[in-house]
Amino acid sequence: MRQRVGRSIARAKFINTALLGRKRPVMERVVDIAHVDSSKAIQPLMKELETDTTEARYKVLQSVLEIYDDEKNIEPALTKEFHKMYLDVAFEISLPPQMTALDASQPWMLYWIANSLKVMDRDWLSDDTKRKIVDKLFTISPSGGPFGGGPGQLSHLASTYAAINALSLCDNIDGCWDRIDRKGIYQWLISLKEPNGGFKTCLEVGEVDTRGIYCALSIATLLNILTEELTEGVLNYLKNCQNYEGGFGSCPHVDEAHGGYTFCATASLAILRSMDQINVEKLLEWSSARQLQEERGFCGRSNKLVDGCYSFWVGGSAAILEAFGYGQCFSKHALRDYILYCCQEKEQPGLRDKPGAHSDFYHTNYCLLGLAVAESSYSCTPNDSPHNIKCTPDRLIGSSKLTDVNPVYGLPIENVRKIIHYFKSNLSSPS
Amino acid sequence: MEEYDYSDVKPLPIETDLQDELCRIMYTEDYKRLMGLARALISLNELSPRALQLTAEIIDVAPAFYTIWNYRFNIVRHMMSESEDTVLYLNKELDWLDEVTLNNPKNYQIWSYRQSLLKLHPSPSFKRELPILKLMIDDDSKNYHVWSYRKWCCLFFSDFQHELAYASDLIETDIYNNSAWTHRMFYWVNAKDVISKVELADELQFIMDKIQLVPQNISPWTYLRGFQELFHDRLQWDSKVVDFATTFIGDVLSLPIGSPEDLPEIESSYALEFLAYHWGADPCTRDNAVKAYSLLAIKYDPIRKNLWHHKINNLN
Ligand SMILES: [Zn+2]
Repeated sequence: MRQRVGRSIARAKFINTALLGRKRPVMERVVDIAHVDSSKAIQPLMKELETDTTEARYKVLQSVLEIYDDEKNIEPALTKEFHKMYLDVAFEISLPPQMTALDASQPWMLYWIANSLKVMDRDWLSDDTKRKIVDKLFTISPSGGPFGGGPGQLSHLASTYAAINALSLCDNIDGCWDRIDRKGIYQWLISLKEPNGGFKTCLEVGEVDTRGIYCALSIATLLNILTEELTEGVLNYLKNCQNYEGGFGSCPHVDEAHGGYTFCATASLAILRSMDQINVEKLLEWSSARQLQEERGFCGRSNKLVDGCYSFWVGGSAAILEAFGYGQCFSKHALRDYILYCCQEKEQPGLRDKPGAHSDFYHTNYCLLGLAVAESSYSCTPNDSPHNIKCTPDRLIGSSKLTDVNPVYGLPIENVRKIIHYFKSNLSSPS
Repeated sequence: MEEYDYSDVKPLPIETDLQDELCRIMYTEDYKRLMGLARALISLNELSPRALQLTAEIIDVAPAFYTIWNYRFNIVRHMMSESEDTVLYLNKELDWLDEVTLNNPKNYQIWSYRQSLLKLHPSPSFKRELPILKLMIDDDSKNYHVWSYRKWCCLFFSDFQHELAYASDLIETDIYNNSAWTHRMFYWVNAKDVISKVELADELQFIMDKIQLVPQNISPWTYLRGFQELFHDRLQWDSKVVDFATTFIGDVLSLPIGSPEDLPEIESSYALEFLAYHWGADPCTRDNAVKAYSLLAIKYDPIRKNLWHHKINNLN
């Protein structure tokens, strides 16, 4: 519904959040603030205008508050075995034609599913599955990278990022890490570089944004091919993506601050060890403002809706800041509530964006990573590389006994360490 | 739509011969035929009208298939160079793209493809882009890609004349539209050097009017701070803004910090946050800042308690 200009001031509306969990009361009254008796139980919380933004939020609030109300006496728990079923099945059967939309994202599916399994239990990714992941990835790119979205597809930064992450999860099974063409990947990364410091996601018409930078830097650190040539201009690009809100946008032209791009920028700054080059205080403020009091989870931008995947995009950024000693800026307890109460459902396995949405692999992975972040504390010795970030369980918060996760890479800590050490040592064959 | 003959092309397989392939997609026969043909034509690097037609059919069913967008771009670039009227040819391509855009509001590839076309165009026009941008924003007023693309256009064409009015319209429609607020800041950042004192004062009034209308709205408060920072060397209106913000917090600053129930409601927690930043910057008002942050932590924005404690620590 559009805001009715003119009448709107007289229609100043008072929202009582205590009532929102029930049927949403129509509380549009012409009220003069001065005449509201604040001693009454129902207190006017805010003066509002009804717009698309408030409409959308009330819809979500109603279902979320209903869940919190119904389940307030139930200790929330991650239904691990149930979600495992969802992921195992995805690896066992062929995907129906409706999933063709993911045809250009095949490495992503492998990473999301394999990582979700491993984050829930480090033994849930079997050697058999690892071999199949390796087979599939090297069918997509028989030369060992860079990788496209599927066989015969153009190499793409996001696909290659997902592929390298998936290979990290495979623990060098059958020596698969030696099959990665690091030299080829490096030259390709260099060919994607733009004069403004960014990277194209693919040759010709690929977009240039903070996401591309993160993918490139993550690939390059995991494979130990990060050079000054590669990082030239990157810091400057990133600095210009932090806007007045404190978060980061996609491009260096006052783009709106966004959870996904903010994660990409924060993780990239960690890799570059240049966190002190941006306004960290503002980034903390922006990140903390993404957590919504009533919903308890994060939204991705100001005045947008809560969404489970931002548990990691924003929670992960906050965890990185925490690791580097900038403080802890959100309520882990509340975030945990949102993920466990609102992103799971009894009838359907997998995790989801919000109540009413279907689960999918993407949200399953990022809700689980967000949960891992919410249940841990992060630290790092000053000036250390981000792959040495330490993770300890947060004793004040319940535990789902998840695998320790490195927030910079969105992977289990041990997998990040293993692959980085492998390519840093002489164990790897020269390529 | 013209019918082309592909009978001389042997489609390449799009399925692998892997045993027990993970996440194998059960493609429809039609999809297999289209993609198989495309793979074959790509491998031959055929840059022809029938190849172009094929890419349109594929984009229709699989708009996120970036490989095809790249292929299409190569075809267009080639055919454009062979056409008699480059402008007409590229305009036709843009018309086609408008159609696709309207059908795929969430798609990533469209916008970088559009940018590539405009860079190729001998006489690109912002005016031509405005209707499609408007339609897309009417459909989804916070579409990230569309806003980002609009900014790119302004910079590409060095044309900012429509932007302030456009952002105002969108804010008028939905005062919470943060995308529109950030677009406004984009305008000022680029108009920074030519802005007059009157315009600055008008903008401040605009912000205050919007806050007055809905005080508990994060967008204009963040914007207000950003605007102050952008023009900190140009205008002295700190006291005016502070007085204004103070009207939204009642008398909480003079009350003892008791339990949350004993504290009155205020009109805007963002006003209190705004004031806290302001007070924290000056040693003389630091105590006020500490108190404001404490109030935010216990009553007015408790979910961000950790941040408020961090702020208090910084001040001490
Ligand atoms: Zn999401």
